[in-house]
Amino acid sequence: MRGGGGQMKRAPMPVELWRFRGLLRSLVIRDLRVKYQRSLLGLIWTLLNPLFTVAVLVTVFTYVIRIQIVHYWAFLISGFFVWNFIQRTLYHSTTILRDHASLSRSVYYPPEILILSASLSKLVEFLLEIVIVMIALVVFHHHAIPSSLALLPLIVGLQVILAVGLMFPLAAIAVLYYDVQHALPIVITSLFYISPVFYPVEMIPVEAQPFYYLNPVVGLLRLFHVVLYEGGWPSATLLAGVSVTAIVTCAVGHGIFKRCKESCVEIA
Amino acid sequence: MKNFYLYSHRTTSLREWFIRTALRRPITVRRAEFSLRGFNLRVGRGEAVALIGPNGGGKSTALRLIAGIYTPTSGTVETSGRIAAVIELGAGFNTDLTGAENLDLYGAIMGLSRSQLSQRYREIVEFAGIGEFIDMPVKYYSSGMVARLAFSVAVNVEPDILLLDEVLAVGDQSFQEKCLDRLRAYRSRGCTMVVVSHNADIVRELCSRAVWLDGGETRMEGEVGKVLDAYRAGTR
Repeated sequence: MRGGGGQMKRAPMPVELWRFRGLLRSLVIRDLRVKYQRSLLGLIWTLLNPLFTVAVLVTVFTYVIRIQIVHYWAFLISGFFVWNFIQRTLYHSTTILRDHASLSRSVYYPPEILILSASLSKLVEFLLEIVIVMIALVVFHHHAIPSSLALLPLIVGLQVILAVGLMFPLAAIAVLYYDVQHALPIVITSLFYISPVFYPVEMIPVEAQPFYYLNPVVGLLRLFHVVLYEGGWPSATLLAGVSVTAIVTCAVGHGIFKRCKESCVEIA
Repeated sequence: MKNFYLYSHRTTSLREWFIRTALRRPITVRRAEFSLRGFNLRVGRGEAVALIGPNGGGKSTALRLIAGIYTPTSGTVETSGRIAAVIELGAGFNTDLTGAENLDLYGAIMGLSRSQLSQRYREIVEFAGIGEFIDMPVKYYSSGMVARLAFSVAVNVEPDILLLDEVLAVGDQSFQEKCLDRLRAYRSRGCTMVVVSHNADIVRELCSRAVWLDGGETRMEGEVGKVLDAYRAGTR
């Protein structure tokens, strides 16, 4: 099914993506329009939804299971929206190729565009959330503007690269096997508990931490906790580790996607 | 050549995968379900070629190969210039959005930049002739209106190569006339066209050459009148 001996003259991927940037832009706008048209609260819904979960978690872990941490709410919101972004992009990736099946069969465009558009439309929502989180942290938690916030664009960039890297193989496999859609909620729920979303990394026993960091989301969340909650500068090791993880994940993920993308277009 | 495979396990599930792996049975036993074989077509600049033949003959597959949507199993496809393919009318339309909002995405799909789209916006809307429906959600459109809107984007893209798959069958008489006029004008300006159609009149009118595809094989290729006559005689 893959282009065995077949040939098609194509520009290198970055050039192709640049050529289709207009389509990417339109897809992102379309996503947001479809989601928020005819809703009175519009984008506010993306905030209300996770805020409700945050409220529940804060109540539980401040009053019931007491996690000893100053301003637990501040700790939680520093990482929660990052987790939420990852979770939403992963879910979206399992349906995106099939949703655009008829489109893919009637015009050519690099299917990578679909993955990127899904992550970027979620990024727009995330940016809105993170701005509010920053304001809340500066006003009620730090009572100052920590210089570490300057790192935020970089680590949000890493977050997107990591998410895209995970979306690539997931999207490809989801076209071939419908099981992915059924299995993903279980994986996401487990991932939520084995990632430092509602508890700090320090609560994991020191001996277990090297294994714990095998989960690619851990380093990223730790980075956000350091920069947003602690208002400090992360160690070079942590920053380098997360960068390497994100880039390698993205390269490997895209490698898998590239191998199946042609059959995906035909099957989806 | 383009092969499509029929996989022996059409119900793809992990359970099956585990069982097959455990029993060491091959997972993908496949045989070619449909193939377009020995398809060889050279279309010169400004030429218009028709692909005719029965359903399932390979016409749309050929068109998709030219458009770059499918990658050939073997062989090569070479094109130069901007391609606009209208294979499924209104593919990519979101029915909850208005016609105008959909134009934004559809224009991008067809390869129009934002400035080009806003330049040609009036012309596209006028050509579609759907009046104030342009600001209504597409779900309230009739199927003819969807087709008109999609088609009027396609003909306003001004591509170098235009690929049309049975899209002229839509719309009423007057809209069809308008489309044909536009396509004739294109031809005279040197636009290359490959047209799939079951309408012999349209084929005769637009194209100089025709290829008759049947069961994935080229039955005949040549001057449009001859191929059409042979096809008609062959199917009778």
